[in-house]
Amino acid sequence: MLKLGIPSFFLFILILQIKGDDFKEEIFIKPLPPSHLYVNFHFITLVNGEESFEHSHLAPRSLGEIMSRYQVEELHLTLTEGQWKHKQWGYPVLDAAPGAELYAWFSPEVIDVDAHWKKLSSTLSGLFCASLNFIENFNTITPKMSLWPTGAQKLKQNYTSQLRYASLPREIVCTENLTPWKKLLPCESSHGFSSLLNSRMIHNTNYHSIGVHVRRTCVDNNCLDTNLEIKQTVALVYDFKIINSMDWSFRKLFGQGLPGACPLSSSSKIYIDTTSNSTYRFKLSPEPNNIVLSQRGGSETELAVYNITNSVMMNIVAKYETKDKIFVNIPPPLTFTQYVLGYGKEFGGIVTELTNNYWAPIDVVLLENAPWWLPIQLSSLRINGEAESKLIMSQYYSPGKSRQKPYHLELLLRLPPKSTTTLTIDFEFVFLKWQEYPPDANHGFYIGSALISANLPTAKNYTSLPIHGNTFDSVINASKPWYPMIFRTNGAMVSLPTPDFSMPYNVICLACTVVALAFGPLNNICTKELVLKAAGTPLSLRQKIFNIFKKKKD
Amino acid sequence: MQEANRMWASASFVGVLIIIGLPLWWKTTEVYRVALPYDKINAFETDSHYISTELTVLANDDETAQEVARQIEKAFQESDVIKLKITKKIIPNKLQHLLDSVADEQEALEDVGAAFNIKKHNTFYVVQRKPLYQDVWVGTERVAFFRDIKACSTIVKVLEKWIYQPSVLIGARSEIADAARQVRFPSGPGYHVVLSVVHPRPQELKVNFNARDAIEDYIGSFVDELTELHNFTLKSQWLHLLDFDFEATEVPGGRVAGAERLPLLLTRLEERAATHVSERPTLNLALYVVPCRLAPLALQRYDKEIPPPVQAFMSPKWGGVVFGNPTPEECEKQVYTPPVNLIMGTFLSQLRKLLGITDKEAQAGARLEALRRAAPRAWERDALLRLRALQQLASAETSLRSLAKLLGEISNIVINDEVGASINLAVESIHRATEHMEKADLLEAHRYSQRAFLAAETAFMEPSLLALLYFPDDQKYAIYIPLFLPIMFPVVLSLKNLLLWFRGKPVHKEKTD
Repeated sequence: MLKLGIPSFFLFILILQIKGDDFKEEIFIKPLPPSHLYVNFHFITLVNGEESFEHSHLAPRSLGEIMSRYQVEELHLTLTEGQWKHKQWGYPVLDAAPGAELYAWFSPEVIDVDAHWKKLSSTLSGLFCASLNFIENFNTITPKMSLWPTGAQKLKQNYTSQLRYASLPREIVCTENLTPWKKLLPCESSHGFSSLLNSRMIHNTNYHSIGVHVRRTCVDNNCLDTNLEIKQTVALVYDFKIINSMDWSFRKLFGQGLPGACPLSSSSKIYIDTTSNSTYRFKLSPEPNNIVLSQRGGSETELAVYNITNSVMMNIVAKYETKDKIFVNIPPPLTFTQYVLGYGKEFGGIVTELTNNYWAPIDVVLLENAPWWLPIQLSSLRINGEAESKLIMSQYYSPGKSRQKPYHLELLLRLPPKSTTTLTIDFEFVFLKWQEYPPDANHGFYIGSALISANLPTAKNYTSLPIHGNTFDSVINASKPWYPMIFRTNGAMVSLPTPDFSMPYNVICLACTVVALAFGPLNNICTKELVLKAAGTPLSLRQKIFNIFKKKKD
Repeated sequence: MQEANRMWASASFVGVLIIIGLPLWWKTTEVYRVALPYDKINAFETDSHYISTELTVLANDDETAQEVARQIEKAFQESDVIKLKITKKIIPNKLQHLLDSVADEQEALEDVGAAFNIKKHNTFYVVQRKPLYQDVWVGTERVAFFRDIKACSTIVKVLEKWIYQPSVLIGARSEIADAARQVRFPSGPGYHVVLSVVHPRPQELKVNFNARDAIEDYIGSFVDELTELHNFTLKSQWLHLLDFDFEATEVPGGRVAGAERLPLLLTRLEERAATHVSERPTLNLALYVVPCRLAPLALQRYDKEIPPPVQAFMSPKWGGVVFGNPTPEECEKQVYTPPVNLIMGTFLSQLRKLLGITDKEAQAGARLEALRRAAPRAWERDALLRLRALQQLASAETSLRSLAKLLGEISNIVINDEVGASINLAVESIHRATEHMEKADLLEAHRYSQRAFLAAETAFMEPSLLALLYFPDDQKYAIYIPLFLPIMFPVVLSLKNLLLWFRGKPVHKEKTD
């Protein structure tokens, strides 16, 4: 205790005494050779007790208010721009679908889940300035097999009926989402790691994703009491071409150095994955506080750990020694890709390719989620070209309804070792009503990513935290029989038959003119009579006036 | 024969286009509107609402009772907002004896309470009690004591300025907000009360303050007494690292914050306080822990007098801010324990004003017993109920009137069944609330006025009203004119001939030489 400085000692007491709330901040940096750098921020707030939403200390009251009002048990919201390239970059800590993605489990007491879901998405839309209010019944599904709560839950409970999932692939993520996100942090953006999140720099990346994940975690192994864990994440992938060099530093990445730890955090750590140091040598300065070797599921990871305690400005720099080296990319155990088939405006198909690079079979659940305007037919499902495949172990299909419900297909597949499995399913294009087209309809329509949840047998390229872990140090030597992960494939786009939007007005005008032209003679023939007029009859006043004009013309 | 055919053809065109076509077009393009009670809405007279209330004068002899009642009646005769129903009684001998013998006013109050029902809303007792040090004494219950017949004018003043406050009631009823209405929160079914502890420098100072207990103990016991008016939810939060530059100037013994900076502090608080996520209005109470380098921070210069123990300010319809100034010793030890009693007391007095309990000015010869508990006085609760009932009623009527006026002016507003139902509910509730008010049934009157207020607000704020508002007329004409102009012209012109023919007159004048 004496070693601690007096301010931090009091701070320690303050955090322990007042609420038992605990805040931690972490950065995980992993070079993705040859050309990218992955930076992942974690801000974890642990709230003690069951009902501290009304009286918050470090946790954001706004989020707590929403969670308690709509009785949400677990909430995951990500706003992502760009596409994570699994084949090239390996696996992220948390995968996210492009655009906005929201899923939540509601408490078992909630009966009208749909109503709560609608209100939740609208409120979150206001809180994060995102268009989550476009989440309606027609783009919401209830996954049966692919999503499971990650937090502590009561046993023997039906979770799937309380779950709702929606993604908005069209959503564009920008500064206005980041600012409210930062306001949820106890240190906001003035102190600590969050001060690095400078929107000018972090939107200048290949991939960026901000997220909020709320769940309940066990206090101890008995799990009699639960904590509420609010985890805010930012994932960034920098392109060395954009920052113009392979050597990176905090100043280059974030536009400024790190001004120190957040005074409210109980631990502020930076982890740098130096495993690639053996092939691509780089030197870190200043020297890390310690270096940890982690063995997890047959793969070894070396982590350089910086323990930030003081509030002195610091700048971590990595200098590469060898610059031009040819890099051999060894793909991770499971890779996948999705694309759209077909031509013309009548039929098309979605193809999902899953490649198992591992020597043992891998079980995955694939969730295809097609909007109502893209009806997929189960009868057209082919796996490696076969209608009846031995690979399908279980299947769930819920047909969509026009303007009410999306199409939803889930397959539990056993992917054979060292093979690629190709799934195709056909769809028809649908005509929309003219008000259903989004602005700029010729841009095309996005199809959401497919969800792939897999239990990986190896931790190669795996960076996620174990399910019980709160902080990044829980990955060290965390060997498990399998490593669960939920992946998102890339999204796709189709172009629906799009009309000329000025057409209805043109048609009305044309039809009116034709009707008017037809009506005039018809009316005349029916109601008028041609009368012969004898010559020399006196002219009426009207005819005299007409004659004046006639003469003038002549 | 030929002519008859032509005329019948012409008549059938008229028949199809004008007799069938026009009404059909009218019917299909009509904006949907439920029938509304316009006559009832237009008949509202907000300024004629009044509240009846019961007042009992208890005196030792008949003459005193008569005189006191007469004076009070005279004073309130002209008030059109409050009508007193005065009953006169002679105190029973036993009670009279008790009142004259007990030394303490509180005890006397209990004796009156035992003999009369002083728990009933909207009642008030003016009781004679000989051994009183001043003319009039008012406590926390619905009872005022007076000494003798000479205290009449003081009683009238006390009733006017403290108990009934007709001027505030008129302010609540009128369209223009008076001073009290500018401060208090608008009516509503409920409020959130959020206590924010603002701690700008957590790294330098530890604050020993349990926000949860503080708000639940102090504010909780206050708002529990007001549940018949509004629902309250109590919340607390800590806002760390909210730095603010007060542009403080050094004065002997401390610093003074720049007065023009204080509104900006509210803006900074509002940014972080997350009031926008709750659906109800939020009363903000902020305890700003002044950083040690600024402490003690005062709001204004105190040259001669001793500065008050708490530095606080209030923003109307928003909430209050109290500065927690750590002492130099506390700064040295880096632990600050805010004086909870003092701070929460300040918040309470701010909250009273924000909820509509006005400050009571001192009246000569009258004594107002100081509050010993957080709870408001019983007669203050009655005053609040009267105030809110009138204000809600007036506000509901104004909303409905404006809506009716808007509907008259803008023909594109849709009134669907739901909006129609809430308008009807509001109108009905207004009538019932008025009846109850006149019958002095205050709780019911308040309940109905609140229902009327909420229904009127829902109807007025309903987004479906605007569904067609932005459908411009020129677009309609762009479609109608090409269709109707060439068709309707010949048909309308043929009407003249048709009429002549039906009357049996010659259609064409036979032109003879």
